Amino acid sequence: MTSKLSFLTQTSLNRKIKTKWFVVVNIILAIAIIGIINIDSIITIFGGDFNKKQEVYVIDETNQVFDLFKTNVENTDISLNEKEETSFDIVKYDKTIEEAKEEMQEKDNLWLIVFEEDETTYLRASVISNGYIETLDYQIISQAITNAKTTIAIENSNISSSELEAIYAPATIERVILDEDKTTEGENSSMIMSVVFPVVILPFFMLSLFLVQMIGAEVNDEKSTRGMEIIISNVSPQTHFFSKVLAGNIFVLLQGFLLFAYGALGFLVRNLLGGSSITNGVGAYVGSLLDVFLQGGLGDKLIYIIPLALILIVLTFIAYSLLAGILASMTTNIEDFQQLQTPIILISLLGYYLALMSNMFHGSLLIRIISYVPFISAILSPSLLMVGQIGIIDVIISIILTIVTNYLLIKYGLRIYKVGILNYSSKDLWKKMFKAMKN
Amino acid sequence: MLKVEHVTKYYGDFCAVDDLSFEVKPGEIFGLLGVNGAGKTTTFRMIMGLLDITKGNITLDGEKIDYNVTDKIGFLTEERSLLTKLTVMEQAIFYGTLKSMSRQQIESRLDDLLEKFEVSEYKYKKIKELSKGNQQKIQFILAVLNKPKLLILDEPFSGLDPFNVEMFKKEIIEMSKEGSMIIFSSHRMEHVELFCKKLVILLHGKSVLAGELKKIKESYQKKNIVINGDVAVADLKDIKGVLEVKEEANDIVVKIASKEVVPAVFKVVSKKKNITKFVVEEPSLNEIFIEKVGESYDK
Repeated sequence: MTSKLSFLTQTSLNRKIKTKWFVVVNIILAIAIIGIINIDSIITIFGGDFNKKQEVYVIDETNQVFDLFKTNVENTDISLNEKEETSFDIVKYDKTIEEAKEEMQEKDNLWLIVFEEDETTYLRASVISNGYIETLDYQIISQAITNAKTTIAIENSNISSSELEAIYAPATIERVILDEDKTTEGENSSMIMSVVFPVVILPFFMLSLFLVQMIGAEVNDEKSTRGMEIIISNVSPQTHFFSKVLAGNIFVLLQGFLLFAYGALGFLVRNLLGGSSITNGVGAYVGSLLDVFLQGGLGDKLIYIIPLALILIVLTFIAYSLLAGILASMTTNIEDFQQLQTPIILISLLGYYLALMSNMFHGSLLIRIISYVPFISAILSPSLLMVGQIGIIDVIISIILTIVTNYLLIKYGLRIYKVGILNYSSKDLWKKMFKAMKN
Repeated sequence: MLKVEHVTKYYGDFCAVDDLSFEVKPGEIFGLLGVNGAGKTTTFRMIMGLLDITKGNITLDGEKIDYNVTDKIGFLTEERSLLTKLTVMEQAIFYGTLKSMSRQQIESRLDDLLEKFEVSEYKYKKIKELSKGNQQKIQFILAVLNKPKLLILDEPFSGLDPFNVEMFKKEIIEMSKEGSMIIFSSHRMEHVELFCKKLVILLHGKSVLAGELKKIKESYQKKNIVINGDVAVADLKDIKGVLEVKEEANDIVVKIASKEVVPAVFKVVSKKKNITKFVVEEPSLNEIFIEKVGESYDK
């Protein structure tokens, strides 16, 4: 019987993998994922005015602000936008304001800044442009002007250079959290969740829906063509049931692995291309988030978070596939199954939204309790563990509850499956199923 | 030998099969007859182990039928039971492997059968691309792929033209000669009469008639007389013991209560002119069926 189980599993798996659509879909997925991670490089390949610098003319009537202003703008721009060099080209202008304005009529990409002395406020500045200035650029410039003004004010107050250095030095801040269970990385939970969402929650949600639909469609296909009678006359319903569960799970794990492989390939391509400093793609975004992840001390935690999450995910996939097989056996066609699978989708959707909202309701007891619930726990539990809202014990409780659920699904579900797969009538369906469960 | 002993099956309070017993020996072709809902398919499903028996016992060569002996059984369901997205070859490998056959055995046997049924060109075609008749042929081929010791055929001739029915008949008879036990149900009484030496007629799950076909017919009192000649129907109707007189094509068919009525009919007919036919026939199985079941099996 073992060889028949492996044959049925292999056949079921081949029906999913050895199809042109599996290949086509995976080629599309690979291209899409690698493309999204390298979107900045792709944009650069197609060309554009990405390297053009913003020209800024400065008329400094005070004769002491220009150098300060220039240094300040360039440093702020490099540090804020994580660039290697500034995109501002700041030039001291020796001609008149009117001449500068004339030049601005011919050049769109030119701004003029005029510094004048002011008796009461030390410094007055005019920022002149032909059109709008982007908010971030305007903030950089206005911040640099304010800093220059502060410097002039301090210098005029006869403060020594050592005092000046102390004033400008960044303040030393020590962050202390009294609750030992809470870590500073927990404060970055929104940042962490933005990594967990695309890497864990979204693929899991997609794959679990895929698994449910796939098993339902396959069982219904065999049932509606009456091929089931021949199959069940040769192998036991248990063997048939487990072959579907095994094939479905192997398939989603393979597909999940392929999704991660495409992601890894995307980052490899990104490294080879060297990325682009001009536009920030998803790769750069995820890369910077991972830095936060690792710098916050989560790197050490991943050693146990990943195995626990994987165990929970695999167990939950098994639970979904057992439930899908049982429900599919009760229905007589794919339309009925689609209706019956709606509650499963809603349960999965609940976990999906709770995982997203957990950050908004930090410390919610309800979300913590729901994180133990099988089917939902695989999405919710690892997410909450990563942001420090629950501990390892909570995840272990979720794992134990999922194992118990799987045991009950196998014990009682198999009885339903045995009766259901050869039942072609929807009359007294639930009565028949409850009766089967009791037998 | 297949032994069905006092088998009863209940669906809730509904009794689908009631105390049914019969035996099929190697080389025998056995007919299981009854109108829709009589309990035929339930009986087949119980033999195949697809349904639990409420009461009674079914054995094959003394062993209870379970997944250890199903490799020796071939089963053709009433409705199509093919996975239509597969090719004929893939389907054969699928069902053959479930019967514990090796790939080589499957291919070799499939090639023989496809050739025998003149459908070799469909080996790599998807089932759904085949006509209804060809699908039925493939289903039959798959049922006999493992050269079963026990072959169960639920309505094997449905959807077949007379030419294909002949092919099936030939194969079924050949298999019975090779020692296979064959049980089948059919709506076509002429096939049942042609094949079966033994049969059971079911009515509401109960056996209303069982035994050897020859003995059943002999024990049946009513006979038919087929006459061809210048005979008036009214003259025959008046004879005592004549139940019915019908004109069929050029003949007159006279149904009589028993063979004792024959001399009286002959006496009347012998006085008429141009008599070319006077044949006393056994009743057809369909007539016996109607008598026992109360309605026709030929639908």
